[in-house]
Amino acid sequence: MSNLSRRNFVAALGTGAAAVWLTAETRDLLAAGARAAAAAKAKAPYKVLTADQAADLDAATSRIVPSDSTPGAREANVVRFIDESLAGFAKEQKDDVNKLVAELRRLAAEKHKGAKSFAALTVAEQDAVIATMEKTKGSHFGDLRGMTISGMFADPKYGGNANKSGWKVLGFDDHFSWSAPFGWYDRNV
Amino acid sequence: MTAMSDHKHPTLAPLQTTTVQYKPEDEVDFVVVGSGAAGGVVAKELSTAGFKVVVLEQGPWRSEKDFVHDEIAIFQQGALTNDFSKSPNTFRKTEKEKAKNQPCLAYGRGVGGTSIHFSANFWRFREIDFKEASVKGTLAGTGFADWPITYQDLEPYYTKVDWEVGVAGAPGPFDPPRSRPYPMPPHPPKSTGILLERGAKKLGWTAFPAPMAIASKQYDGRSQCVQCGFCLGFGCEVRAKSSSLVTVIPKAVATGKCEIRTNSYARKVETDARGRVTGVKYFDAGKKEIFQRAKAVVVCANGAETPRLLLNSKSNLFPNGLANSSGVVGKYLMFNGGGFANAQFEHEVNGFKGIVATRIVWDLYELDPKLGLVGGGGFDYRFDITPMGFGFGGLHPDAPKWGSAYKRELERQYNRTLIAYGHTTSLPVATNSISLDPELKDAWGVPAIRMTYQDHPQDLKLYKYFSDRAKDLVDASGAVRSWQPPVDSAQFSVHLLGTCRMGNDPKTSVVDKNNRAHDVKNLFVVDGSSLVTSGRGQPTMTIQALAFRAADQIIGFAKRREI
Repeated sequence: MSNLSRRNFVAALGTGAAAVWLTAETRDLLAAGARAAAAAKAKAPYKVLTADQAADLDAATSRIVPSDSTPGAREANVVRFIDESLAGFAKEQKDDVNKLVAELRRLAAEKHKGAKSFAALTVAEQDAVIATMEKTKGSHFGDLRGMTISGMFADPKYGGNANKSGWKVLGFDDHFSWSAPFGWYDRNV
Repeated sequence: MTAMSDHKHPTLAPLQTTTVQYKPEDEVDFVVVGSGAAGGVVAKELSTAGFKVVVLEQGPWRSEKDFVHDEIAIFQQGALTNDFSKSPNTFRKTEKEKAKNQPCLAYGRGVGGTSIHFSANFWRFREIDFKEASVKGTLAGTGFADWPITYQDLEPYYTKVDWEVGVAGAPGPFDPPRSRPYPMPPHPPKSTGILLERGAKKLGWTAFPAPMAIASKQYDGRSQCVQCGFCLGFGCEVRAKSSSLVTVIPKAVATGKCEIRTNSYARKVETDARGRVTGVKYFDAGKKEIFQRAKAVVVCANGAETPRLLLNSKSNLFPNGLANSSGVVGKYLMFNGGGFANAQFEHEVNGFKGIVATRIVWDLYELDPKLGLVGGGGFDYRFDITPMGFGFGGLHPDAPKWGSAYKRELERQYNRTLIAYGHTTSLPVATNSISLDPELKDAWGVPAIRMTYQDHPQDLKLYKYFSDRAKDLVDASGAVRSWQPPVDSAQFSVHLLGTCRMGNDPKTSVVDKNNRAHDVKNLFVVDGSSLVTSGRGQPTMTIQALAFRAADQIIGFAKRREI
């Protein structure tokens, strides 16, 4: 998706790697968002993901957007976003997620003999696995990245982007209104 | 927990959504198919003149409370637009290929049509756009032709759009003549606008205020824009964007003569043994077929659905589709092409705030003939990438795709990025078309749209030229880093033009200069499909001016019993 021109933008978002979450009904999403917020607070069990899958996805999405000096995928509740989506509007993507986790585990075992999960690797080993996936044609890197970005930056009502932490990373604020000056250049004319 | 929960909407009195109701068996004066930019204007004009009008709109009637800042709902779910799962389409580049099931177009589905979620750039076409082929020369192998009307014919109606729909702006050095000033002053310039001014000045060009169909002050009972930044793709929550939903439709409803019949999907325009239109058959919300009788029909369903409806309305008298003796229905499909450059700046641009564009540059509207290019274009700077979209593809193509380095780039660049758009001419080519897919049907069993489209080689040269100049512009504006997305032939469009072109010759055009079908006296077609040439992008202003003009003509014909 290198071309962000207007005429390609909608198409790119609708058909590219981002299409992980393509089939929802809006009302399901709204319900999913409310549930996600409640579930995260209560540390409720996951609805679709097993605890092991959730642990591997937590580790992997945290490599895509790490927690460092600013919040990452973990603080944004990206895994909760994935689980809620799979329970609601993105049911059809369950198989993709299963395959992604299987790929993470397979590569983890190759990287570190005897490793039973991706989460069990050191961060350096995890990064090496992700780097391999990025370079491998047909890997599920696009799905992993797409899910992470969706969970980081989509409206918080979907269960991710907790406390607008993803938006804070960007410097975006969904304020209802703005007035001039909008940026540095119109302030310093 | 919703993003909007901490924001208060200004109090807006709800708009009336109940209308007069006609019975299908009662013959009304007009059925208008579509309630968007064109259909809304036609409905308002005809009902104000006292005619009984039924508007068939395939989508629902939404209001401000239904509009949200939600990328997943808008861009991935298509909450406001055509639903590919129910209304699929196919695409191919050339007539030799078998078309594949592939989303290739988007339009607004609901009262107000695409005017609900458009950016509201309201450039007028200029004098040259109507006569460019004869002034500059046509191009063999294309349908590049003069319009049967001139800018002067359309000027009073451009002014009508300015005032009745509501456009904010201020004339620039290249403005075509106007009979009345803008009704509203321009919006305050954003950093994108200031940077465009700076770059243009360095290149010896002039940036001037962008004409926008968005209220810059309270206007006609509507709110002033609050610069929330969610125009492209989104519905306006404060009734500032001048969509048909909040401008002409309420006026049509208030006449008491116009019924807006929602969730009503037009299936076929019916004709009698004399070849006259008798009404429109449509599906109601329960997929039941209903026939609404009418003395005349105006099709305003957009540049893809309009030709599809005509082609699906074939009969013994019209074996190739209604109003298609020329064989031109669906042909000469034009998008609006362009050349682009992305740029990052040292300081915060904050393009996510405010309306899409505040300044434009028209110095290259017409080009030096020595370049050997056909047409020209105009520029603006914008940042129309929402947060998820930026995460996916807003950074430089070589930037890291994950990890801390990726995150640092997101943090640094989101507020410092803009895109220079060069909006250009796109040539009408007969082989680019909307036709009926021979196999695929929609959820109602109606043959689906098949799009055949490949940008003309001359267009690709023009897009490249404008991408190069866009790069010159952002570099002159002081960009720290800039790059050009590759120029490719398009496979998706939201600007659907030219497929029922206007002309004097019934052999080479579908409608005459008054938007009446050459073949059927009581059938009119007005929307993007009427356009003979593409202008330089931004077609809605011209579509609405054509709609006001066509309505004027239709009212005259009806009063003189010439329909």
